[in-house]
Amino acid sequence: MRGGAIPLLAWACLLAVLMAGNWVWTGDAIQVGAFGFAVLVIVLAAAWLVATHRGAIRRGPPEPPPPGRAEAAPDLSFAAVLAAIAVASILFGLTWAYFLVYFGGGLLILSLGRLALEVQAARASRELHESRSLPDSAEQERGP
Amino acid sequence: MSATAPAVTTVSRASSVFGAAASTDHKRIGLNMGLASLVFFLGGGVMALLMRTQLAQPHMQFVSDATYNELFTMHGSTMIFLFVTPMAMALAIYLVPLQIGASSIAAPRMVLAAFWIWLSGGIIMQLGWLTQEGAGRSGWFAYVPLSNSANTPGVGQDLWTVGVILAAAGLTIIGGCVLATIARRRAPGMSVMRMPVFTWTQLVSALMVVGSFPVLILAMALLYAERLGAHVFIGYSGAIDYQDLFWFFGHPVVYVMFFPFLGAAAEVIAVNAHKRWFGYAAFVASMLAFAALSMSVWSHHMFTTGGVTNQYFAFTSTALVVPAGVEYFDMIATLIGGSILLRTSMLFALGFFLQFLIGGLSGIFIASPVLDYHAEDSYMIVAHFHYTLFAGSVFGFFAGIYHWFPKVTGARLREGLGRLHFVLLLIGTNMTFLPMFFLGNYGMPRRIADYPSHPGWGTLNLLETAGAGVIALAVATFLVNVVVSLRHRDAAGEDPWLGHTLEWATSSPPPRHNFERALPPITSYAPLLDLRQRAADRNGAAMTRVPAGRAGLGPTPQEDAP
Amino acid sequence: MGLGAPTGLVDTRAEYQHVFDIYVPIAIGVFALIVIATLLAVLVYRRRPPERAARWYEHDRLEGGYALLLVATVAFLLYITFTAEHRVDTVAARERPGLVVNVTGSKWEWHFNYPAYGIDLYSGAVGRQDLVVPTGEAIRFRLTSVDVIHAFWIPQLRYKHDLIPGSVQDSTLTFSRRGVFAGQCAEFCGLLHSDMIFDVRALSPAEFTTWARSQQAAGGGAA
Ligand SMILES: [Cu+2]
Repeated sequence: MRGGAIPLLAWACLLAVLMAGNWVWTGDAIQVGAFGFAVLVIVLAAAWLVATHRGAIRRGPPEPPPPGRAEAAPDLSFAAVLAAIAVASILFGLTWAYFLVYFGGGLLILSLGRLALEVQAARASRELHESRSLPDSAEQERGP
Repeated sequence: MSATAPAVTTVSRASSVFGAAASTDHKRIGLNMGLASLVFFLGGGVMALLMRTQLAQPHMQFVSDATYNELFTMHGSTMIFLFVTPMAMALAIYLVPLQIGASSIAAPRMVLAAFWIWLSGGIIMQLGWLTQEGAGRSGWFAYVPLSNSANTPGVGQDLWTVGVILAAAGLTIIGGCVLATIARRRAPGMSVMRMPVFTWTQLVSALMVVGSFPVLILAMALLYAERLGAHVFIGYSGAIDYQDLFWFFGHPVVYVMFFPFLGAAAEVIAVNAHKRWFGYAAFVASMLAFAALSMSVWSHHMFTTGGVTNQYFAFTSTALVVPAGVEYFDMIATLIGGSILLRTSMLFALGFFLQFLIGGLSGIFIASPVLDYHAEDSYMIVAHFHYTLFAGSVFGFFAGIYHWFPKVTGARLREGLGRLHFVLLLIGTNMTFLPMFFLGNYGMPRRIADYPSHPGWGTLNLLETAGAGVIALAVATFLVNVVVSLRHRDAAGEDPWLGHTLEWATSSPPPRHNFERALPPITSYAPLLDLRQRAADRNGAAMTRVPAGRAGLGPTPQEDAP
Repeated sequence: MGLGAPTGLVDTRAEYQHVFDIYVPIAIGVFALIVIATLLAVLVYRRRPPERAARWYEHDRLEGGYALLLVATVAFLLYITFTAEHRVDTVAARERPGLVVNVTGSKWEWHFNYPAYGIDLYSGAVGRQDLVVPTGEAIRFRLTSVDVIHAFWIPQLRYKHDLIPGSVQDSTLTFSRRGVFAGQCAEFCGLLHSDMIFDVRALSPAEFTTWARSQQAAGGGAA
């Protein structure tokens, strides 16, 4: 997908200019630090986009998806919900009832394991789909 | 992806409560988040009504001082962490994939988990009400040392801290997923400069979320450690450091709560004027500048601390005039030459722009340190941010609701009730928040459970309390409208308003993977309008290229070369 | 009052009024302009058939010119603000004070200490003593707190400053007129924040001297 990283980089540049202004004008370490963090996050996000997709710093509309490429998406994911509740119960347990920390920890491990299985199954079913599909079926992936 | 893409789980989708709760369909998650935010909105509203009752007259003692402090803390926290910000994100989760022609959101499981993390945080924060010492009560920005365990003991404040961490974590993840969706899932043909206006506003606010929300999580984690007995924020520099970290999130979030609703109002205005949004390129540039500047203004909350360089922050804060001015220019230029229908959504969108203006202009006022030395922490500030967040964002939110309700439910909201809702909200809002400017200037500080009976103060406060009642009535009218419109459905069809963007090129509500037909060619940021205009050109209707006010009455048939 | 301060001292109220009188008319003008333009556009272009909507959607030069106008406005506003802030923050701090008052905030009480006279006054949740000051002199308030952050606000002077534990910060203020003015804590500081109020009694210098002598004679405590 082209162009995805350009807005991020443009924005990171604007932010960097304002950060430089802050540095010169205030010289306040914590302010420059916070600013620097934000710039870094955005630059890293842009770098990730470029790393996973070279075209992300080129202008123009995205190219059509490569032929034969399918995507497997689950309809439901209880594991994701449970992982969220596990994280919440760990933090809640810290303030309220310590046993919830252990409960949440256990639940987190179980749900992450289940998530890993889900991802694996998704990959397997995608590969199956791709091996079976005709070359032109991928053209319909996005509803051309 | 098409409906033939293999699903992983065998459970049939959304067939039960569990199905609705665990669905990875971005529309389901967005809807769930929107509904949860709405519940928090009603809760925060009840807190506001209790506060306004307390303040109706001096020395009311309707609730205790302690309860009052909990009320304003939790009102602010609820509205910011649990209503406006998540509602903006709910709109992103639901609409951004549709607007960019994607079949799903990026990392749907992560979005699902993030929604539940956020919701757990919200519930945990509210659980504080059940504790002995009460809910969080050191203000929504919980300054140290007031918020440490010596000055604010009790589990309620701990729960508040943990709740904020979880809510912010959920919102951060969602922001990242929205960013990834926009970067990676645009339909073929949709270059960055063809993204709809609303998607652009969501993109810049997602940038701000990932850049600033982690700093809040850090600040809250440190505060939590401080409450557990670690000495993190020590003395004067500790107090200033906390404020810097908090407001590095706390100001950007104000714009995260604003941009998406600006985008919503912009879409509504363009569609109801039957004219594409004016000055797209300038708008995009100004949004990027707007977002970058608004990451750089945070210490204007600290002008009176003596710990920051006031001039830098006065400079960046005042400079916001430029991008904000460009948005207003674009809004008016979109209206000029259009053919305007004053549907309820349009009324709310216009209300959004004109009322937010009061918040924005008063924001320029308090961006001046000399003026802020008086206004800071007074009711002028309360008035200012309620004009931005309530008279602004909430009006933009309702504009979006009236606009997209048919897309989400397949049924239109009632126009008559909608207009009543708008008028009541307009009156209530101004009755409640306009007098606050005067009270603040007379010297009434914010966050006081009682106020001296200076001449005029009781009257103005009573007026505000009455206004809050009118707002409650307006919200009730809205809820009635929703119930009536869902019971006796006025079927909307795919595209009831002649929409401009791709979400109107699919059924209402959209199917599981959003688009079952081929997408229309994406030739600009208003692809459906392009389609209609090309069809009109082919049919030979007269389409003027000059401001239409100068054209004759009605369309004149005219032969165009095909 | 205010603008006619008798001395060359920085009058925070006058500075505020000066900036206010520039900012607020501009704001009201802009508000009126935008509201009128919007409503006019809506009225003129209401309810025409959709096909008649114009198709133009861009005018970069017009918009660029408008943005330049905005930049000029920002520059003007900042000039006004920075000059006034310079006086309130920097010029005032250089003044030789006629009186120094140590202001200590605590939950939920003000402690005003006059080191030159050995006078201590208290106001807040447990009773009310006025902060007594002379008019026409620069008064240096040394602000600090013993527990949480408070803020010293005298609306009449259009000025406040935070009291932050671990620091002593100076605010130099001038009362140009006799009278009794309300003051209060402006930064939320816990349970009885709303009770953390005081009155300022501004006396002529001669009256102030008499008052201070009588206080010293009485042992510095009660008012
Ligand atoms: Cu206080």
